[in-house]
Amino acid sequence: MTFETILFYVLALAGIVSALLVITRRNPMHAALFLIVNFVALAGIYLTLHAQFVAITQVLVYAGAIMVLVLFVIMLLNLQNEQDLFEKRSWRSYSGPILSLLLLALLLRTVAFVSGGSFDRISPESERIGTVANIGQQLFTAFVFPFEMASLLLLAAMVGAVILAKKRFP
Amino acid sequence: MPDIIFQSTKHFWPEITLALTFIAAMIFEFATKKRTTGTGILVLLGLAAALVQLPSAPSEPVSIFGGMYAIDPFSTFFKYVIIVTGMVVVLFSFQSQELKKESGHTGEYYCFIAAVTFGMVLMTGSSNLVMIYLSIELVSITSYILAGFSKSLRRSSEAALKYVIFGALSSGIMLYGMSLIFGLTGTLDLSGIRTALASGHAVTTGWSFAALMAAIVLMLAGFGYKVSVVPFHFWTPDVYEGAPITITAFLAVASKAAVFAVMIRFFYVAFFDNMLASTGVYSSFRNVDWSMILAVLSVLTMTLGNFVAIWQDNLKRMLAYSSIAHAGYMLMGVVVMSNFGLSAIMLYFVMYFFMNLGAFYVVMVIADKIGSENIDDYRGFGKRAPIISVGLSIFLISLTGLPPTAGFVGKLFLFSSVMASQFIWLAIVGVLNSVVSLYYYARVLKNMYLREAPDGDESPIVFSKVTSAVVILFIIPNILLCFFYQPVLTFAQRSIAILLPGL
Amino acid sequence: MDVLDIAIALIKIVVMFVVVLLTVAELVYTERKISAWIQNRVGPNRVGWLGLLQPYADVVKLLLKEDIVPAAANRFIHTLAPVISIGVAFSTLAVIPIAGPTITLFGRTVHMVIADVNVGILYVLALTSMGVYGLTLSGWASNNKYSLLGGLRSAAQMISYELSMGLSLIGVIMITGSLQLTDIVHHQHGWMWNLVLQPVGFITFLVASFAETNRAPFDLPEAEPELVGGYHTEYSSFKFALFFLAEYANMITSSAVITTLYLGGWQVPYLETFGLSDGWMVLVQILAFMLKVAFLLFFFQWVRWSVPRFRYDQLMNLGWKVMLPLAIANIVLTGALLLFL
Repeated sequence: MTFETILFYVLALAGIVSALLVITRRNPMHAALFLIVNFVALAGIYLTLHAQFVAITQVLVYAGAIMVLVLFVIMLLNLQNEQDLFEKRSWRSYSGPILSLLLLALLLRTVAFVSGGSFDRISPESERIGTVANIGQQLFTAFVFPFEMASLLLLAAMVGAVILAKKRFP
Repeated sequence: MPDIIFQSTKHFWPEITLALTFIAAMIFEFATKKRTTGTGILVLLGLAAALVQLPSAPSEPVSIFGGMYAIDPFSTFFKYVIIVTGMVVVLFSFQSQELKKESGHTGEYYCFIAAVTFGMVLMTGSSNLVMIYLSIELVSITSYILAGFSKSLRRSSEAALKYVIFGALSSGIMLYGMSLIFGLTGTLDLSGIRTALASGHAVTTGWSFAALMAAIVLMLAGFGYKVSVVPFHFWTPDVYEGAPITITAFLAVASKAAVFAVMIRFFYVAFFDNMLASTGVYSSFRNVDWSMILAVLSVLTMTLGNFVAIWQDNLKRMLAYSSIAHAGYMLMGVVVMSNFGLSAIMLYFVMYFFMNLGAFYVVMVIADKIGSENIDDYRGFGKRAPIISVGLSIFLISLTGLPPTAGFVGKLFLFSSVMASQFIWLAIVGVLNSVVSLYYYARVLKNMYLREAPDGDESPIVFSKVTSAVVILFIIPNILLCFFYQPVLTFAQRSIAILLPGL
Repeated sequence: MDVLDIAIALIKIVVMFVVVLLTVAELVYTERKISAWIQNRVGPNRVGWLGLLQPYADVVKLLLKEDIVPAAANRFIHTLAPVISIGVAFSTLAVIPIAGPTITLFGRTVHMVIADVNVGILYVLALTSMGVYGLTLSGWASNNKYSLLGGLRSAAQMISYELSMGLSLIGVIMITGSLQLTDIVHHQHGWMWNLVLQPVGFITFLVASFAETNRAPFDLPEAEPELVGGYHTEYSSFKFALFFLAEYANMITSSAVITTLYLGGWQVPYLETFGLSDGWMVLVQILAFMLKVAFLLFFFQWVRWSVPRFRYDQLMNLGWKVMLPLAIANIVLTGALLLFL
């Protein structure tokens, strides 16, 4: 057991437990908080995979910005516990877990396919791929076209958000 | 890499023009800050500028930006449909009373038409999963905003909200599909996916096969949502009813064209083997029987669309269900996946453009006059507004697919392409559906010509000369194309060349 | 990574922790002294020589008070919130380099930074963005309308100013070509501090730092006249002390980050011409670093007692309509200069 392996298992456990708590807590605030824990645990796992940039972005964007807005909305709406959602036990409440398990199987198969069936080692390539320098390089060479299109998309979304949010027209 | 980018831009000028139009219109609107139609005219000019550059597109398929984007006759055809629709919608919007009354920001409205046109054009050529996702999102997000543009109308805001919720869900589902495909093939490039599948690098047995199937179904959900194929159609009636009519028309024609283009490219490039191209019918890799899934979806879509349309009292809503049904018809062309089927879809889009835009235009001008889209309020219209009524009748007959209208030719070619590929039962279902659709279209005609106005009011409703002229302009192609469809057909047949790797 | 490495890392952490804690204590004292000086009063002068031991008396007082949690509060989150605040404030310091050369300790080369992460700047930003949870959650968990308003304000304020903060940093990154804080400091050799190269970026970053630390004139989350105490209205005893501690620790962290990014970090111009040994260099550089931080801390307090608080809409206008465009203009300008010079 190397230090990294122990770290991985701790983070993985934290991630799984927090993810389960997200979907079982009835208090929306608690669920949101466990989602943050989940994001941070995921960021830690990215770090063990040498993907520093993705890890930091995960914390910065998801845990730091988006979840603040989620909390903001929960606070403003003053949601009560979602009791009534849990009282109905229809086929829907059983199909969810089954579908999730199926998806898990598919994902495992897909990952196994890419990694050639071995889960126990980190590709030596990862040290090179995950760096900020390499991501920047890719973004401005091979993916420069999608990058520019994404900026146009964000521009349109931004203007649209302002228009929709404006109360009265002048 | 910079060389590739600079070389690529020379094929990319129509798109660049559209993007510049969007930005220029926004700056213009910001600088003048007047509720004038100046921005609209600017956008119109920009769209026209993009349109005149289309004929100089290379006649052979070209891949640009390192395989991210494809320029080929197939996408150019759809670009024509989309840009012309955009121009027509801008012209309609100049006349729309609803936009003037219910929303102040008409300048931004035109900016967004430029943006959404740009997104749709981008969709037609996207040949990489990242680009497909980005262009679909660009179209979706701008459409959400446009659907909610009549902000003082409650139904418009409701439409936008419903659109956003369904849209976000479906794009999430599609991303799941894309990630599975990426995992199975190790590439985001459509031609790369094709190579991976063809070389057998991606094992297509057992769990991998299941994963691939799941991925395709998830992708289909994303595409199906955008063209309102049946299990994913729930947003369509509400959004079409709530959005400004001009936008409804735009969504019904251009948005569908763009998604059909990208969907056909996705299936054709990634999953179909071109070895059998000599017979004009393509076979999919490793007996993945997509055509059966698509056929079932197509039948469900047209049947539900047509049967639910019978019960509608609001003409806009009825046209929404009719457009669902039409998506089902057009899906038949994808089912057969042959050269014949593809050219039939393209021909159908031209016909659909004329009949649908005409119908929506009439609904718009009538709603502006009498403030209602209810079919019962159309009673006695045949006497009170003859030109408009004749126009609407022809458009509806064309939508049904009866001769002597453009819709007849469109349906004829679609159904015969299906028959040619031994899907006879599918063609029969299509014909039966057309019969059903006659019932609800005829109900509008009955109200207009055979019923008296409720209060015996027979005073003529006067429409402006421009309105009548526009209606007549739309009637002419609807009739003419029934007899002189040959040039369009030839053009469509010449435009089926899709960019494939190693060709 | 053996026991000795871990021990050295632990020593670094403990030293940093103790120094910051002591500084926080004395910061409370200087704050009171400076405010007294600005307002022409005497300030604390009874406990110890010149009142220097006053903060310790305050701490004892706070610790001896009763810890009150409102009956309807969410106990767990109510306790968690101050912990988040303080934890974030301290962990940011881990990536700040305080001296250039290495020294040798027990036969090991020791770098004068706890963790030299190669995405250092992003690490700082990420932790700053986590800091908002402390205030927001305390506001929500207290189940008090004033607290909630304070919490909501802090969330809105921090998200708004984080943007201009991140964008003003990009100028520095463009000049340096690295996200590593040690590289950034090395790059500011001699007088080529980023303050000189990036004056606009420095101003936007400084203002954003004030907003991120919730210091006046951006202390809207606790605005006493309108919100009683804002997010910490319902806190008492040790938890209140933690919030207090966090505010000052955040000031120190921000000052250290500003020093590192814009004031040349530990750089002392012309120091290498004296031909000092590495040990002395380290000492001088640490002193220089601390002096720069001390000056910024004084500046923070100076501003607090001189400038009135913003109104909420003014705050948002400043953030979105002034700071953000300025930060973006700075990026464009920097890019143009780098391209053409």
